[in-house]
Amino acid sequence: MEIIKTAGLTKNYRRFKKQAGMMGSIRGLVRREYEEKQAVTNLDLSIREGEFVGMIGPNGAGKTTLIKMLTGIIAPTCGTINVLGYYPNDLDHELKQQYAVVMGQKSQLFFELTVEDTLRLFKEIYGLPEEEYQISKEYFVNLFQVQELMHVQVRTLSLGERMKMELIAALLHNPKIIFLDEPTIGLDAVASKQIRGFLAEINQKKGTTIILTSHYMEDIKTLCKRSIVINHGCKIYDGDTEKLFEQYQKLKKITVTFQEPTSLPKMGNEARIIEQTPYKKVIMVPKENAPGLLRELMGLLPSDISVEEEEIGTVVERIYQKGGEGFA
Amino acid sequence: MGRMKRNLRVVRVLIEMRLQNLMMFRLSFFGPFFVDSCVFLIQLSVFQAVYYNVDRIGTWGKGQMFLYIGTFSMINAINMVICFFGINGIPDKIKNGDMDLYLTKPVSPLLRLTFERINPGAVPLLILSGVIIASGIRKGGIEITPSLMLGYMFWVAVMTVLYYLVEILIRSLSFFILSSGSAVILEETGLALCMQLPGIVFYGVYKVIFYMILPYGIMATLPVQFLTRELTLGGVMWGILVAVVFTMLTAFVWKQGIRHYNSASS
Repeated sequence: MEIIKTAGLTKNYRRFKKQAGMMGSIRGLVRREYEEKQAVTNLDLSIREGEFVGMIGPNGAGKTTLIKMLTGIIAPTCGTINVLGYYPNDLDHELKQQYAVVMGQKSQLFFELTVEDTLRLFKEIYGLPEEEYQISKEYFVNLFQVQELMHVQVRTLSLGERMKMELIAALLHNPKIIFLDEPTIGLDAVASKQIRGFLAEINQKKGTTIILTSHYMEDIKTLCKRSIVINHGCKIYDGDTEKLFEQYQKLKKITVTFQEPTSLPKMGNEARIIEQTPYKKVIMVPKENAPGLLRELMGLLPSDISVEEEEIGTVVERIYQKGGEGFA
Repeated sequence: MGRMKRNLRVVRVLIEMRLQNLMMFRLSFFGPFFVDSCVFLIQLSVFQAVYYNVDRIGTWGKGQMFLYIGTFSMINAINMVICFFGINGIPDKIKNGDMDLYLTKPVSPLLRLTFERINPGAVPLLILSGVIIASGIRKGGIEITPSLMLGYMFWVAVMTVLYYLVEILIRSLSFFILSSGSAVILEETGLALCMQLPGIVFYGVYKVIFYMILPYGIMATLPVQFLTRELTLGGVMWGILVAVVFTMLTAFVWKQGIRHYNSASS
């Protein structure tokens, strides 16, 4: 069932364009120049119940603006939005009861108090009966393994611990949709991995529809079957995540080591050596030429050989640069 | 009815959380009791110095002036205890984009803002204001009857709501113009003036300003006029009309403001 649908969604901002220096400021007092910025342009979107959708795009691409329109925080300039049968900017409590939003850079916890205290407030805000509240809290506390952190001041928690608590606070009322705006921002690899694990479980076990924006491609690759790439406010890709990376992951990285000092013969296959010592060579090669190169390298009797995917950052850069050619 | 009950429960939890928050640091809990009381006593000494040297202001004698000061202080103290710090934070929340989290919860953002930063430190002001009112009643030789007291309390309640509405209205301007600081300064200046002078002394353009635009001139004047049996039917009508108009205006501006909210970039 389709639970989010937008058509021709557009959001324009008007912003003051100040010229540099004091004269620019004085001129601005008399005559102001504004520029129109299209944060989101003519965006069509359809999300089905239970999907885990990743939104990727560089800074200023329009991802957060889109989330804000879908949650009703801001009104679109034009276009239509339907979330669970509601127009979000009507700010209906019935709709707000059914979704949750977590913004990685904004906390909804009370820093001087404990998480338990904040959860009590949310229990009342969402009108949860005591029994339902206790069951839900217990489920998430066990899932996130944070039993011992429930009674300490939020301000004493690490960033990773705090994000787990933000998620518990958001999930307490079992929302149908959860919007996550960069939930792993600033987290270390271990904490990010844990959060990803929890999100996957919530999506699978509770059937919660999750819309995730992240700069960390690992989040998107691991969690989201479907990806939406946004750049300059436009949707440039909407489809299978694996297909997206397959399309743009053009190179393979082959690392080969030898027991004796070895020189490589002249290589064709558009291969490029990026690191070279007498005992070790690292070669980048177009993925379709990798099997041929591997055969050649095996003839040199290496002691070890490994083939890796191209670095994810490079792939993403390519996606943004190419602007989703062949997909849009 | 269900919504009302839920709101009351939210208010109760907000108050409890605020108290717990303040109690985390002893100074932040006890400090305001001392500071707010000192500020109040300084203000009071200024009034005392002025009114011991002046027998009448307009048609009012000392008893009525004491009543006026006590009533204004009471309205101000109720505001300080319940909502001032929450409402005062609205412009910053709009500027920083912190309204986002208020707008995505199924409870009125204004309800949360109103009750989330109560200030128990101002409770002594309520008591001191009560003492001044009692002394004004004694000095003015007013015979108190239950109906008179109930009527007075009604007017104090209406004017407290009006005070709250004006506060929200001015701070809601931040939805449209981010730097609404000048409007707040204007409000504070008008407030400071009307805390010292009753509405009956204003004439001409000043009466228009303080009876209509920034209605601080009527806030303590009408309850005192009721208590001293000076309130005319015209005064009653005007008081109710201003309260109704400001309720509608504030609701309209707030709703438009929420729609106009652009949310600071992340």
